[in-house]
Amino acid sequence: MLEEKHHFKAWLYLSPALALLLVFTFYPIFNAFYLAFLYNFDYMQRTAEGMTFTTEGINLFHNFRRTLQDDLFIRALINTLIIVFVSVPVSVIISLLLSVWLNSIKRFQGFFQTIFFLPYVTNAIAIGMAFAVIFHREYGLINMILTSVFGMEEGLNWLGRVSVDESTPAIRAWFQRYLNLPMLSLMVFITWSGLAFKIMVFLSGLQSIDKQYYDAARVDATPKSRVFRRITIPLLSPMIAYITITSFIGAFKEYTAIVGMFGIDLGPHGDANRLITIVGLVYKSLNEMDSVGAMSRAASAAIILFMMTLVLTLFNMYVSKKRVHY
Amino acid sequence: METIEIRLENLTKVFQAKNKEETLAVSDLDITIPAGKLIGLLGPSGCGKSTTLYMISGLLKPTSGKIFFGDSDVTSVPPEDRGIGLVFQNYALYPHMTVRQNIIFPLENIKMEKKEAERRVQYYADLVGIGHLLNRKPVQLSGGQQQRVAIARALVKEPRVLLLDEPLSNLDARLRLQTREEIKRIQRETGITTIFVTHDQEEAMSISDEIILMKEGVQQQKGAPQDVYDSPGNMFVAKFLGSPPINIFDGEIKDGKIMIGNANVGRVEKKKNQPVVVGIRPEGFKLSERSSFQVKVEFVETIGRDTTLIIQNPKASKDQANDIENEDMNRANTFRAIVDADEKIKPGDSIKLNVKPHKTFLFNPETGELV
Amino acid sequence: MSEILYDNEAKIRRKQMITKGILYSLLTAFAIFIVIPFYWMILTSLKDAEEVFSAPPSLWLRPSEWEIQNYWLIIRGEVPYGRFMLNTVVVSAISTVGTVLTTILAAFAFARLNFRGRDAFFMVLIATMMIPGEMFVITNFLTVSWFGWVAEQTYFDAILAMTLPFMTSIFYIFFLRQTFKTIPNELYYAAKVDGTSDFMYLWKIMVPIAKPTIITITILNAMGTWNAFIWPQLVTQFNESNRLVSNGLRGAAYVDEAGRVLYNEQMAAAFVVTLPLLIVFLLLKKYIMRGVSRSGIKG
Repeated sequence: MLEEKHHFKAWLYLSPALALLLVFTFYPIFNAFYLAFLYNFDYMQRTAEGMTFTTEGINLFHNFRRTLQDDLFIRALINTLIIVFVSVPVSVIISLLLSVWLNSIKRFQGFFQTIFFLPYVTNAIAIGMAFAVIFHREYGLINMILTSVFGMEEGLNWLGRVSVDESTPAIRAWFQRYLNLPMLSLMVFITWSGLAFKIMVFLSGLQSIDKQYYDAARVDATPKSRVFRRITIPLLSPMIAYITITSFIGAFKEYTAIVGMFGIDLGPHGDANRLITIVGLVYKSLNEMDSVGAMSRAASAAIILFMMTLVLTLFNMYVSKKRVHY
Repeated sequence: METIEIRLENLTKVFQAKNKEETLAVSDLDITIPAGKLIGLLGPSGCGKSTTLYMISGLLKPTSGKIFFGDSDVTSVPPEDRGIGLVFQNYALYPHMTVRQNIIFPLENIKMEKKEAERRVQYYADLVGIGHLLNRKPVQLSGGQQQRVAIARALVKEPRVLLLDEPLSNLDARLRLQTREEIKRIQRETGITTIFVTHDQEEAMSISDEIILMKEGVQQQKGAPQDVYDSPGNMFVAKFLGSPPINIFDGEIKDGKIMIGNANVGRVEKKKNQPVVVGIRPEGFKLSERSSFQVKVEFVETIGRDTTLIIQNPKASKDQANDIENEDMNRANTFRAIVDADEKIKPGDSIKLNVKPHKTFLFNPETGELV
Repeated sequence: MSEILYDNEAKIRRKQMITKGILYSLLTAFAIFIVIPFYWMILTSLKDAEEVFSAPPSLWLRPSEWEIQNYWLIIRGEVPYGRFMLNTVVVSAISTVGTVLTTILAAFAFARLNFRGRDAFFMVLIATMMIPGEMFVITNFLTVSWFGWVAEQTYFDAILAMTLPFMTSIFYIFFLRQTFKTIPNELYYAAKVDGTSDFMYLWKIMVPIAKPTIITITILNAMGTWNAFIWPQLVTQFNESNRLVSNGLRGAAYVDEAGRVLYNEQMAAAFVVTLPLLIVFLLLKKYIMRGVSRSGIKG
């Protein structure tokens, strides 16, 4: 009977999943912290000179410090934050609008739904390469439209190497360094690939809202914009919160899209790591495994990433607790 | 508040399914609903009563026919411009708003001045008796309280017409009794023309000024509840109204006498000999030694001042094509008679019954029309 | 309340028509935005050597101009796509079967069996879902290296390294548990009365009832493997013949003698990788969409 306890049997059923989780999920979490506090861990020799906190004259956060002092870290951090705070709001708003529009039509709804869902199933590498062709300076679609439709004399060098002119004002130099054309192209791609999932979740959320609320609002002569703000958005707020949290986490981990569009060098030709992200930094460290301490730096970068997502997620949850109607 | 009459002219609604199959939901309805009255739209489920209500609200568009509010034709007016208040079956209270926000919502739509809006919210909340619950959320309220909030929200913009869709169906039995009195009181106090839809005949009879009985999209009868009960226009109406329901017997008219089997249960003038369906209300029987209608009592139920006798039916009516649902009693092997609780009758007794003429109705067995 | 004159039905209808027109135009515009990368991929893959380097690019090609040969070059070219695809299919089949099995067993334990610490343990699992995968990747790489599956890698090593770490998924366990929970207790009681063992009940009753969810899990997992890039890139770095399609696609250089990238061949390869996904999607759309929208509703 259900009330009976089945300790042994239950753990038996759980054991295959549990064994795998122990080895490949739980242990790695602890080990990541262990690695991050190892001093001079040499992966090739599998030796370390002890822990950072037991070694004389070595800072506890030695590995974190080395990660943070890496010139690339600042760039990775800013790139990541740009992707997170620009692409997420943009794609959430676009997908919210699209799903509301989609929900309000009858004819061709299924057709549009199928099309909007296409990006969900695609290979990020393959499509990233297609985007690279679309943004190509000479043979790309975008520049063709810019020159022939908008009458620009010359197309933009979307994916070309970025040269930062230090003599320009600081803000301008900042834009050149971070919010440059390659970054914009990348964000178009990221937004494109993120829409599908969001639209589907919002659409199913919209479809589960009782139609009577809309009838009631209609009888009360509620303007369309007010219906959207006062009824649709609040009733959809659990989905919006869910999508926002998962998208933020996803955006923090952006990496494959960059590889798809720019290759393993994470930047335009001759301008490697221009678009590096924190996850990119983790893999970069991981690929330098013959250098002493690389694994520890990778681990510390991963932990920094984890902390940032954690803080943002907690903040998101705090906001949703106040604002979300369940 | 201005009161208006509502007139439906040849109102028809045809639903078209995806496979082009058409269903006639409401057929050629011609009804005038007097100003300031409480009207019950009554009928079994699927009779088109809710469709009619939604057409009056404007949420559904009639296939043909016209709807007038007072003198103005509102047939093609969108619901938001009709000046109606609508209470939904499930209340449709916005779950994320407090009671106050729910009620004030329609007023914010018309950008009413804040102070006046607040005053009105308080007034109508007090009127329906939920003035102390304004800061609660709908989930924190009982079914009856939610219902009142829905009514307050419908009334707060002072509509010309109040429409209620099955207002009591989500309440438990005791609350239902209480709430229907409440609806009646609110309607009296506001004097607003009110239409409500229900499948419960008792509910409709108890509070309506007039009832409109519908079946399969067609109006059957309209009138004051007691009038309709006392002189039903056809067998459907007779069967639908009354609890316990009317007893139905196969009988015949023979030389001016109404016969059920060999028993004479009454007389009719100027009617030729023909088979008929005899409908007798349970309260239409009297114990009488002189009657030829002799029957055997199976069970006796005494509830308060009345005793209901469940009696072996000497001649139960056969299945009628247009029998209404859930009314198996009509065709059962027993029928019911209500007598004074003072009568000492035991199961198994053989009794003789007289029939009150004004509680007896004769119907054509084929058409169900009154003979 | 004031009387409003309602002779403007035609006006209202016209306004509705305009709104609808705008709505459909916007939707169409975004639909085009979504479709363009696919279209451009196919279009470019069909261009010949001259066409692909013409500026401005042509927006469409007549069937007679299609250069199907690009696809032949891909299939017969230096990059062994056939082998990569086979690798991918093998890896995805094994990891999917493994995932589905471990998921069914674990979800059953969480949904039906009563044991001490069940809810606490389940909460721990859910919390783990929030931790970014990069935390695991480093150690997992060390682990599979330590198992000897990375250096001097055999085919078998590669399969193990690419499947075993992914043979269970907390998200799928959660997802299937939710479905299992909707199966009424009465069925379980009835089966018990009939003397059915838990295991039989799971296979004969719960699994068939939850089949749509299990199909969804199967598809999503298989597609995930098809798109996997990072992990296979890491673990097959010393034996590139064991790579999966995404790595092959990104790793290959399509360059002519002049050092120009041959976008037509590159896009042909990309389309070869994309096509199976599109076919699976169009055939099994229902299950994939179900999974996605469900995951949202459950939050």
